[in-house]
Amino acid sequence: MLVFTLLFWTGVAAEDFAPVLEGRVLSFPQDTGAHPDHRIEWWYVTGWLTDTSGAERGFQVTFFRVATGIGADNPSRFAPRQLLIAHAAIADPAIGRLLHDARLERALEPLAGAAVARTQAWIRDWDLVLKGPPDGDEGYRTRIAADSFALDLTLTPTIPTVLNGRAGFSQKTPQLTHASYYYSRPQLAVSGQIRVRDRDLEVTGRAWLDHEWSSEIMPDDAQGWDWIGINLHDGGALMAFQMRRDDGTALWSAGTLTDPSGSTQALAPEEVRFRARRHWQSPRTGATYPVSWELDLDGRILRLEPLMDDQELDARPSTGILYWEGAVTLFDEEQEIGRGYLEMTGYGQHARF
Amino acid sequence: MLAIENLAKGFGPMPGEPLFQRVSLQLAPGESVAIMGESGVGKSTLLNCIAGLEPVAQGRIRLAGVDLTRLAEDDLAQLRRRQLGFVFQAFHLLPHLTLVQNVALPLWLLGQTEAHAERRARAMLERVGLARRGHDWPRHLSGGEMQRVAIARALVHEPALVLCDEPTGNLDPQRARAVLELLFEGIRASQAIGILVTHSQLAASFADRTLRLTRDGLIPEPD
Amino acid sequence: MAFTRHPLLRHLFLASLWRRPLATALTLLAMTLGVALGLAVQLIHATALDEFGRGLRLLGGEADLQVVGARAGFDDDWYLWLAQRPEVAVASPLLEIEARLPGQDRTLRIIGLDLFRVGAITPALLPRVDRTDDADPARTDAPHPNRDPDATASSDQAAAPPRTVATDGPDRLAVLRPDALFLSPTAARQITPAPGATIAVQVGLSERHLRYAGSVPGAGVGTALAVMDIGAAQQTFERIGRLTRVDLRLAPGITREAAQALLNAELPAGLRALTPADAASEALGLSRAYRVNLTMLAAIALVTGGFLVFSAQWLSVVRRRQEFALLRALGLDRRFLWRALLAEGATLGLIGGLLGVVLAYLMTALAFRVLGGDLGPGFFRGLAPPLRFEPFLTLLYLGLGICAGIIGAWFPAREAARMCPARALRAGDEAESYRAHPRWRLTSATLLLAAGLCVLPPVQGIPVFGYLAVALLLLGAVLALPGMTGVAMRLLGNGHGLIPRLARARLAAAPGQAVIAGAGVVASVALAVSMVIMVASFRDSLDAWLGTMLPADLYLRASAATASGALDEDAVARVSALPDVVGVRPVRFETVRLDRLPEPVELIARPVSTTSGLPLVAGRITASSRPADPTVATTLTSRSALPPAWISEALADRGELGLGDRLDLPLGEALHGFRIDGIWRDYARQQGAIVIELDDFRAITQDRLTNDLGLFLADGADPEAVMQTVRDTLGERVSEMIRPEALRGMILEVFDRTFLVTYLMQAVAVMIGLFGIGTTFAALATSRRKEFGILRHLGLERRQIGALLATEAALTAGVGVLVGLAAGGAIGIILIEVVNRQSFHWSMDIQIPTGVLAVFALTLIILAALAARLSGREAMRQDAVLAVREDW
Repeated sequence: MLVFTLLFWTGVAAEDFAPVLEGRVLSFPQDTGAHPDHRIEWWYVTGWLTDTSGAERGFQVTFFRVATGIGADNPSRFAPRQLLIAHAAIADPAIGRLLHDARLERALEPLAGAAVARTQAWIRDWDLVLKGPPDGDEGYRTRIAADSFALDLTLTPTIPTVLNGRAGFSQKTPQLTHASYYYSRPQLAVSGQIRVRDRDLEVTGRAWLDHEWSSEIMPDDAQGWDWIGINLHDGGALMAFQMRRDDGTALWSAGTLTDPSGSTQALAPEEVRFRARRHWQSPRTGATYPVSWELDLDGRILRLEPLMDDQELDARPSTGILYWEGAVTLFDEEQEIGRGYLEMTGYGQHARF
Repeated sequence: MLAIENLAKGFGPMPGEPLFQRVSLQLAPGESVAIMGESGVGKSTLLNCIAGLEPVAQGRIRLAGVDLTRLAEDDLAQLRRRQLGFVFQAFHLLPHLTLVQNVALPLWLLGQTEAHAERRARAMLERVGLARRGHDWPRHLSGGEMQRVAIARALVHEPALVLCDEPTGNLDPQRARAVLELLFEGIRASQAIGILVTHSQLAASFADRTLRLTRDGLIPEPD
Repeated sequence: MAFTRHPLLRHLFLASLWRRPLATALTLLAMTLGVALGLAVQLIHATALDEFGRGLRLLGGEADLQVVGARAGFDDDWYLWLAQRPEVAVASPLLEIEARLPGQDRTLRIIGLDLFRVGAITPALLPRVDRTDDADPARTDAPHPNRDPDATASSDQAAAPPRTVATDGPDRLAVLRPDALFLSPTAARQITPAPGATIAVQVGLSERHLRYAGSVPGAGVGTALAVMDIGAAQQTFERIGRLTRVDLRLAPGITREAAQALLNAELPAGLRALTPADAASEALGLSRAYRVNLTMLAAIALVTGGFLVFSAQWLSVVRRRQEFALLRALGLDRRFLWRALLAEGATLGLIGGLLGVVLAYLMTALAFRVLGGDLGPGFFRGLAPPLRFEPFLTLLYLGLGICAGIIGAWFPAREAARMCPARALRAGDEAESYRAHPRWRLTSATLLLAAGLCVLPPVQGIPVFGYLAVALLLLGAVLALPGMTGVAMRLLGNGHGLIPRLARARLAAAPGQAVIAGAGVVASVALAVSMVIMVASFRDSLDAWLGTMLPADLYLRASAATASGALDEDAVARVSALPDVVGVRPVRFETVRLDRLPEPVELIARPVSTTSGLPLVAGRITASSRPADPTVATTLTSRSALPPAWISEALADRGELGLGDRLDLPLGEALHGFRIDGIWRDYARQQGAIVIELDDFRAITQDRLTNDLGLFLADGADPEAVMQTVRDTLGERVSEMIRPEALRGMILEVFDRTFLVTYLMQAVAVMIGLFGIGTTFAALATSRRKEFGILRHLGLERRQIGALLATEAALTAGVGVLVGLAAGGAIGIILIEVVNRQSFHWSMDIQIPTGVLAVFALTLIILAALAARLSGREAMRQDAVLAVREDW
């Protein structure tokens, strides 16, 4: 969902880039690769990890690709036609807030880039790569090494790819022009190692990958959005989001409910309602986030509770983005039915300038 | 008590020949002697030897029990500073010091503070009758006045021994008498020993006794 | 009682300084000038070096290593190679360009950099976009009271540019825009564009327009530079695929030395990983010799001041003999006398030093305002340093002033302390102090030692022994004075007339008087003469050199060779096709890094054998034997088959290269063999230069550009008209032209400016020497009042006494000037053959301007006589009878 935030990186008109049109058939694995003709694209992995002692943590690894529209005529290898941004974070309740880091580079092979044809995005030694036939079983690997933490995780799909919206065409506002291509890989089985404050830990867990690309700018009347991606304990998955107006009311909302067999049900705007239950104010930025939500899915009332309140990610010094991105648990009454991630933008700053 | 025993000094007119030898003299505090003699016989040299300004070839000079001939350069300077006063024929007032400062010079050398030295120098100037000219410069003085300042300087630190080298040589008899009176009065008043080298009978007459320096020692001068 | 508070010290010793105001004032003047000049040179350089160092640190940031090549840069493949090396944590590529600003007589240093990487190493270079509208009011402007330490400690966090990309401006990509240029505060002040305005830069012969998009706030106040995206810089300046530098931060666990060795083993020829300290010393080494030489010149003023203290103190001691004798008789000990007299010298040194310090700061402030931080040769161009107080240097020079005063007072104090008071109390004794024995043996030993020192090599590029030899020569000359006076008086024979005979007798009997009066003359004349000889030789040789180096009638260039302008083949062809142009001589300037030298060396590619050649000092000019196919040449190992190269004296010295040696030049990141065919004189490039045939250069590098184009005009052609035609052909704003005469004039003007300091020192030294004679004779006249009194008694006229003084002064000055001339000639030769050779590595043809020197010598003698006569006036006015009576 950060797609639209990142559009402020661009200063050229949308028509310079490939449009997002309903009806385009996504084909895999080609469409897991980069789409440099589109202005903005991201691969976004979130999930829960359990170490051998049973301690639970959330993690996030995101690679963004931004086409700048600059330097098309420049034969220099340094011409900044494409930029890559990576965000990575670990949510550890024992620490009480996110460990996070970010990288920003121009695409310049072999130092940083996003490959077409199959997922491969990297900035120096940070990467996210999709392996698949004929190179063995399908699976992602991501490696992140920051000063205060590191990740080296293998993510193996257990259910098929989920196309969001209408066959991967995900509408963001009442206007059809505000849309993206959007698919998800929920229920990724995770195994690997992490390092948190100089402790190396073996971990397993469940993760979620989103891949989304677009060329469109978010409309003026959108203040921000709230998004969830939850791996349900029954083997299914729930994705839902809402675009908010300045006054907090929903401009648009949608979702995708996937059952354990992999068959999907698109949720229409009127079937998805977000209601804030509890707010938390960041002592660092002063921004107030609704960290606990009531989710109304066509009359079924669910409840979202954060792993911890402080999962604010202030990347303003590096990439200019301030948001809340955190591990959450989904409850039906008092019954925990799933775990995943909640993203909230537009609470501390306007999502688009 | 000054005791000179068998003093000899080289550099006579002939090589290897002494300028004078066998010079002996004993003087008690308050006592004064005039030494006369021909030009070139070494009267001033004898005075310099007694002051420790020139080395001697032989003999001893004891002042208050201390043998000057055995003292090192710096100790001699110390001794001169404390025990000796000088009066020269050419006055040797420092032209760029005021009269008070000229008189205070020996006190400065003794390390006294300026204020203290000035007080004593003023008192001394008063004794020689120049109290009101303390801030005047030597160049404004007559010869007699200059020598009175020099006498004040020679006595200001109450030396044990006052050496006078032809003090009235540049003065007319009338002024000479006044200066000599002042000088001997001062010497006696401070119980100092006075040695006066002179050609002048008048000057010699102020001393307790008169001796004649010859190449072979001091002989009494018949009155 | 404390020595310093003793009434005697104040009333009798220090007060004496005020009783001889002329001598004191002159001594103070010399001390003041010596301290002021020395300190000012140091201050200017310290500040400039400081600013320069700050600039280096700014540009070098926190780099552990910097990979640098020649001026033209290197292939940016090496950046990718470096960035992936395991030793390297972060690599930051830079492309530095000295951009010529068309139509302006200045260049702008533009640094193309990767904004996403530069922050990790040189955050000071990060640009800031100047906002044109304010950020969204909805934005939470809360500060970061307790920023996440885990996030801020991260290196990668720093790798992304804070403040810049993150600026909540309307266009986050502004910094990447191909025309966006960010100016440091100093550059913005110098260029003064409005934000958003375009800035024209020259590339080759064409103009490009960049936009003033923001500032480089971290660049500090002293450094003029501009920053843009590296991709845009490569494109704008037609340097696609080129870098000039890669800054490296090393991976944890590897030492700088180890990484340097590993990288240098694999980097291609001409590319080298340097530590920032290497890079700094590279730049500072160039200016050191110049700085040291200027400092030495300033030291000369101080030494002259010391001499003046010496003669003033000596005379003062002589005059005060009776006073000291009296004080000794009254019981003053030797030690006090000695210390008090040293205190007089120290006081002169202290007051002179304090005045000098004040003057030095004033001079420095003025110099900064007028010249910038540059004392002449242009090492620190582009710096605008602020004046700062330098406590260490200030105290050092104050201390040096005091030392000079004490040393000057040393001998007179010793003389006074040694004096026998009983004898000195008697009048008419001062001739005693003018005893002086000829010290031939000591003199010869000193001079021999000086000669021996001249053959010793420099210490770290500084001709320490050369300077020592100069000092010994000076000492030897002063030591020779009494002997020379005796010899001179004997040679003069029995003069005619009373006055010359009296003067001769006096000098023969009291040669010490000549030493005291003449020492200052000898020192100042020797130094002045040596400078005159050196500067004349240098100027002459430079003029001749310029003639050889600039044979054409007209020179054309797009910009200085270091800057972004250049002539392409088409432009050269168009210019050579112009009517009235009968021939052209293109020159391409490049730099190369030789393994044997730490700094890059200038490479000059131009036709040699077919044109007027080079100012060779050794070797010859032969045509290149390079075969048409360049690949064949590199396979040939026979030395005679190698193409010729001619190296400058500096390179021959520093690289220990000789005729016939093989010289491997890294061109195009590969080594190419050359044979050294000649050594030429080069006054322009201190770090060394190599000339090769342009055809050889082009065959190897395929580089067809031209920096300087010499135009040979048809007979009778009007250069001004040709210049106009060239301007019409190439464009008004993008080319510079100069006629060799004008260039020569400019260069000589710079030369003269550089030596302005030297001339000033000469004038000061000579003035001091003259005043020295004046004060000496004034003092002598006073102390010889009685002698003159007798002479008057014997019937000499007052006029004759004056003539006597003048004759004595003339004789004294004559001897001093002659000795000074001889010593000055010798010092001049040392300066040329040892000091210059060792510090700048250039030779020159010795040129002795005999006419000038003769006039100078005669003037000095006449002035000395006049000075003595004038200063003796007071003595002549004295009532002779009174003077005699005083002590008789």
